[in-house]
Amino acid sequence: MKSRLRENLRAYGFLAPALLLLGVFVVYPIVGTIIISLETQSGLGLGNYLEVLSEKSPSKALVIPGNLGGPPPWGALVHNMVWILVHVPLTTFLGLMLAYMLIHVYGRSLVKSIVFLSMIIPMVVGGLIIRFIFDSQVGVIPRIFDTLGVESLARTWTAYPETSLASLILGSVWLWLGFSLTIHSAAVDSVPRSLIEAARIDGASEWQIFRRVIAPAVWPATLTVMVMTLLWDLKIFDIVYAATQGGPGGSSTVLAYVMWLYFARALDYGRAAATAVILTILTLAAASYMIRRSLRG
Amino acid sequence: MSLDQRIGTIVLVVAVIALILGAMGYMQASKIASIEDRISALEERIKALEERAQAPGTTTTVTETRTERAVETVVETETVVRERVRLTVIGPWSGDEAKYFQAVLDEYMRRNPGVEIKYVTMRAEDLATSLPLQFAAGTSPADVVITPWAWWIVEMAKNGYVEDVTGLVNKDEYVAGTVDAVVWDGKVWGAPFTMWLKPGFWYKKSFFQANGLEEPGSMDEFMALLDKIKGIPGVKNPIVTGDSVGWPISDVTEHFIIAVGGPDLQLKLINGEASFTDPEVRTVFEQYLVPLIRDGYFSEPIEWTQAVTLWWNEEYALYFMGTWITGMVDNPDDLGFFPLPGAKGVVGGADYIFVPKTAPNKEEALKLLEFLATEGQAIHVSQPAGKIPTWTKVPASELWGPMQTVYSKVVELNLQILPDLDDSVGGDWQTLFWDQLKLLWVNPDSLDQVLATLTQEFPGG
Repeated sequence: MKSRLRENLRAYGFLAPALLLLGVFVVYPIVGTIIISLETQSGLGLGNYLEVLSEKSPSKALVIPGNLGGPPPWGALVHNMVWILVHVPLTTFLGLMLAYMLIHVYGRSLVKSIVFLSMIIPMVVGGLIIRFIFDSQVGVIPRIFDTLGVESLARTWTAYPETSLASLILGSVWLWLGFSLTIHSAAVDSVPRSLIEAARIDGASEWQIFRRVIAPAVWPATLTVMVMTLLWDLKIFDIVYAATQGGPGGSSTVLAYVMWLYFARALDYGRAAATAVILTILTLAAASYMIRRSLRG
Repeated sequence: MSLDQRIGTIVLVVAVIALILGAMGYMQASKIASIEDRISALEERIKALEERAQAPGTTTTVTETRTERAVETVVETETVVRERVRLTVIGPWSGDEAKYFQAVLDEYMRRNPGVEIKYVTMRAEDLATSLPLQFAAGTSPADVVITPWAWWIVEMAKNGYVEDVTGLVNKDEYVAGTVDAVVWDGKVWGAPFTMWLKPGFWYKKSFFQANGLEEPGSMDEFMALLDKIKGIPGVKNPIVTGDSVGWPISDVTEHFIIAVGGPDLQLKLINGEASFTDPEVRTVFEQYLVPLIRDGYFSEPIEWTQAVTLWWNEEYALYFMGTWITGMVDNPDDLGFFPLPGAKGVVGGADYIFVPKTAPNKEEALKLLEFLATEGQAIHVSQPAGKIPTWTKVPASELWGPMQTVYSKVVELNLQILPDLDDSVGGDWQTLFWDQLKLLWVNPDSLDQVLATLTQEFPGG
């Protein structure tokens, strides 16, 4: 009994520094934020949450039901969801596809390094680059559409409500593809070559090998990429701030940007904290899904 | 043991003893030499410190102690009296603009040799994100902070984060209305620094001359001018629209409000006495701005510094911008401007200086604030920063050459200097205002929705 107690004490002794750091720098701020989010003029309550959820201003609304059938703005929460729906599959698939294709390419390390460069760029700089990529004066994308004669897309994408969100999402695919490629490359390299050769001998096409051999074999890596991308999409702020400031007309706002508006522009810390808590709950839900899937193996 | 062996042993013992004694002697000698070296080194240090003590800013105390074994000298240096003060100033300027402001700080340091000033660039948006947290934690990254957001200084003052400077700022010595922006609860919480003007549409004199263009005298002439420009080969649109977080579009909008609705309308909008859905405001948009946007007189929003280059390269003929543009072009003498015909006022905005309550060197910071708000302005306006003073004691002759021309034209046209609408209202409404106008510029059909949103979201609206 005594030895068990001693063992426990020793374990807690080793854990203490880490727990102390977590307590001070993680738990305390979280608890503090929750308390601030509940503080209203009439005491503690859910007033800030209700106000954040029912906000109608296009730059801060989480959902704008009346606009859902037309072009943005649809509300920050919907924009985040659209971001996830487009970005997660696109980035995951392109990363896996590239990783598989690069097995056969000479000098693949160089190609991987070039793709990975986008990960090294600070996201604020990434946002500015996106702004210029989609700029009608100097950008590549509008020039391509100009050559193709598509006038509606030969203009500055970030300046129009119909295209601003799309420009950010496509830009984020470029910025995040390096991560997906790196994780998938490591996973694809670990797939035994004998498996691929056996499938080839059995007459499988390259697409069938990719779909039936490679994709299932690297599934744990794919799951990690998907969940990390999803979390990144929920927290996205920098590129929105640098490229569009959530505009025009609130057409590219996201949750984190709304939180910043409450915090830095409205100086309304209660609503900023409430938005932060909503964002944390969504992020935690995604993270717990990942952990459960990982534990299930 | 034989005799030889005994003699040998004695010689050996003597030799060992001699060796030990010799070593001890050598060590002692080395120690003495080392102590002598230290003494002379310390003497030199004492001499240097005594010399430093004569210089301003340092007091040196020298203490000498003797011990039994050796002489040890202890030198203590204390900086008690006339200590060199290091101030940190945060301001919004970078690049050339920072260089022009540095000239003001350099002059202050020249006049106050005991003060060293470090300048740090931080935009108003970034200040708003980081400073409230630091103030709440009882610290401040700077002794003096400069920002164009007077409303934000007042918000910080309401939280008890700003030093009261009522005694340092004589309201009567400043351009009317500038100090009012930082007054709350009957006290002054900041001091105005130099100000910019947004006097009208800028053009290249050489371009106007080459194409036989003239400044318009009426709204009809203005429209005729735009039509004429539209027909000039190589010109994409008559007016280039600067894009940024949104302020360049709000500036041109405010100019139309003042020119069409009069200075009072601008003031009423700021005070919340008029709304954007009021007929007189609606007229400005419906009859002037929206038709101009719809008919392609304005360009698509282009990043505002990039727009300067394109405009200067004559891809566009007119650019609505603040006076700081005078410092951004190759030849400011080739610059001309005209306000919209009929305009009785132009927007002018000052940067404001404040001292945080938690400033590390509050006393010195307040002295610097006082200098910047008065004599410092004379130095700043003499630089190519495109600024005019808010402190009325600075004579117009102190202004940088091209700004003297701009300023005299403003005076000649008897244009009233009015506060900036969005800078005065501030908060998240300012961001909304910019964003909604950006929407209007690319989708003029959204006018009703834009005006309704601006009215609904107006503080207290």
